[in-house]
Amino acid sequence: MTLTRRGFTAGIAAGLAAPYIIGHARAQGGGTIKIGMCAPITGPAAEAGKYATGGAKLAVEAINKAGGILGKQIELIIEDDQTTNPGIVLAFSKLAANPEIVGFLGSIRSTQVHAMAPDVMKLGKPVMFGGTDPNLTKLGNPWLFRFRPNDSYSGRVIAEYGVKTLGKKKWAVLHSTDAFGTAGGKALTEALGPLGATVAIDQGYANQSQDFTPVVLAIKQSGADILGSYFTFENDLGIFARQLRQLGVNIPWVGSPSIVNVTALKLAGPALYGTYGVADYAEESSDASKAFGKTYRDAFKVAPDNQSSWPFDAINVLALAIKNAGSTDPQKIREAILAIKKYPGAEGEYNFDKNGDGLHGYNIVKNDKGNIVFDKHIEFDN
Amino acid sequence: MDLVLQLLFTGIGIGSVYALVALGFVLIFRATNVVNFAQGEFSMVAAYLMVVCAVDLSLPYWLSFIIALAGMAVIGVIFNLGVYYPLRHRTYLPVIIATIGASILMANGVLALYGPQPQVLQGWFDTPGIQLGPVYLDNQYLLIIAVTLALVVFNWWFFEHTMIGKKLQATSQDKEMASLLGISVSTMIMITFIYSAVLGGLAGILVAPILFVSIQMGATIALKAFAATIIGGFGDVAGAIIGGIALGIIETFGAAYISVPYKDGFAFLVLVLFLIFRPQGIFGERVAEKA
Repeated sequence: MTLTRRGFTAGIAAGLAAPYIIGHARAQGGGTIKIGMCAPITGPAAEAGKYATGGAKLAVEAINKAGGILGKQIELIIEDDQTTNPGIVLAFSKLAANPEIVGFLGSIRSTQVHAMAPDVMKLGKPVMFGGTDPNLTKLGNPWLFRFRPNDSYSGRVIAEYGVKTLGKKKWAVLHSTDAFGTAGGKALTEALGPLGATVAIDQGYANQSQDFTPVVLAIKQSGADILGSYFTFENDLGIFARQLRQLGVNIPWVGSPSIVNVTALKLAGPALYGTYGVADYAEESSDASKAFGKTYRDAFKVAPDNQSSWPFDAINVLALAIKNAGSTDPQKIREAILAIKKYPGAEGEYNFDKNGDGLHGYNIVKNDKGNIVFDKHIEFDN
Repeated sequence: MDLVLQLLFTGIGIGSVYALVALGFVLIFRATNVVNFAQGEFSMVAAYLMVVCAVDLSLPYWLSFIIALAGMAVIGVIFNLGVYYPLRHRTYLPVIIATIGASILMANGVLALYGPQPQVLQGWFDTPGIQLGPVYLDNQYLLIIAVTLALVVFNWWFFEHTMIGKKLQATSQDKEMASLLGISVSTMIMITFIYSAVLGGLAGILVAPILFVSIQMGATIALKAFAATIIGGFGDVAGAIIGGIALGIIETFGAAYISVPYKDGFAFLVLVLFLIFRPQGIFGERVAEKA
């Protein structure tokens, strides 16, 4: 065999191109479809991280058991975000360096999603997240998809439930003066006007207050017949709840999600009995929620919450989008996610809008002597 | 009038908490000339010790109380030997920085051992409070006020009428002279640290049923207590008590009649005014610049 010049050149070219071709082929059609997940494995939200990764793993297992997608199994690659902004940026960059990963799960914390958003934009692959700051899907970043209802819906749901279901029109609006509480209080106040209700008192408070007596007395004197609240920290909520009842204020109370979380229930105890709260995950709210609740309990022997339900939905929706797209091309996955309508998830029914928001309503739950009971779901078209 | 009475009761109650922690600040300052910024963390650690004993181990409340205070005495000894003693011949600044370091260590240590979730600690009473006419009196606040008053009397008796109290006073006034007179200055400073740690712990245990038990509880109270000591005069026991109660009343009424979100602002506005116009505090000597 004689080595010609043409043959030599072709051989060199093939040799140089091989790693790229093999790498590209792996990215397109390796043994598994890889999904990256940034989760708080360490740091203050490590407990929540267990729930989040648990929910994601359950979805992956179920999909793989049913034969996977596009004939391949799903592989979940988890990186620790340390519950910090620099942590999630580092975790995402580690995952983004792997060209085989076709989609990602971000964080339930809005601030962390804000931190990683510029890198998401640069990478140009779909990222699912759970943060509820309404601005996140208005950043003009086409790769962000939200799997919890945003905060603009919670204010509307609190207002609608209080006015239409409980029949109360004279409101006390109480909120933290931080970004979350201020935005929530504003959303609630704005939602009350069109419903014909009035705000008797709009009261802000600073986080980590040791005493709420002046606030309670102001609410009492305002003559409000219902209270709507946005508390950021459970300690504050607990101290306020006790003082509210001790000072004899027993008007109905509809609160943002912190009013029904496990820590708040433990701290405030009977002071929160009979109150209402908005909750994105409520086990009794739909068949899909019930089914997820059962699967999660069977697997981990504890009740699930929104920390685990949104990653479960995110993996399922991402897998469905890849299946519908018939491809792992980022643009095609993006279009397939936006085309998803009436998908029954654990958090609710997903109907993605052009901004990447999948859910447009909230559940109302009641604290029935310490047990959280589903009452109704309120959905919005706009 | 009902509103005023209710606010006054709450103001005195929360102010008494500041006063208890402020007492710890003052005692250590008198003995060592440094401000112990870990005083708030003493309160937090004691509250967690109570949770471990009374809730996790289900020990009787009185026994848990004794164990928690004994634990604080031990922490006082460790704090003295580990933080103050090695730096005692330096200027006050390295010691103050060391106390800040120790406070961060304590907060993070408890966080690592117990996690970030706040805990519930029941008080001594089965019922939360009593309605006296138009005013609701929280039992725990009543207890805090009573303990604060009792401590005022005890401190007066202890420092004025006991030999050890007089030795402590002598040490705080002039260490060299006290040493020449045969007083063991190191022992006196050790006793001061133990007493301050126990006082801070007592404040934490008393306030825990109202504010819950959390990593942040110490820092929040200590900041106000620090302001109270400036107002009262940094070297003065009576000043610390009056400063604390005054601060509680000022912020409660300020929140009710001016603005709730600026509640903490009133406390620090008063602090700044005192630093400008009366740095020696209501009763104290001119020592505020050392803080």
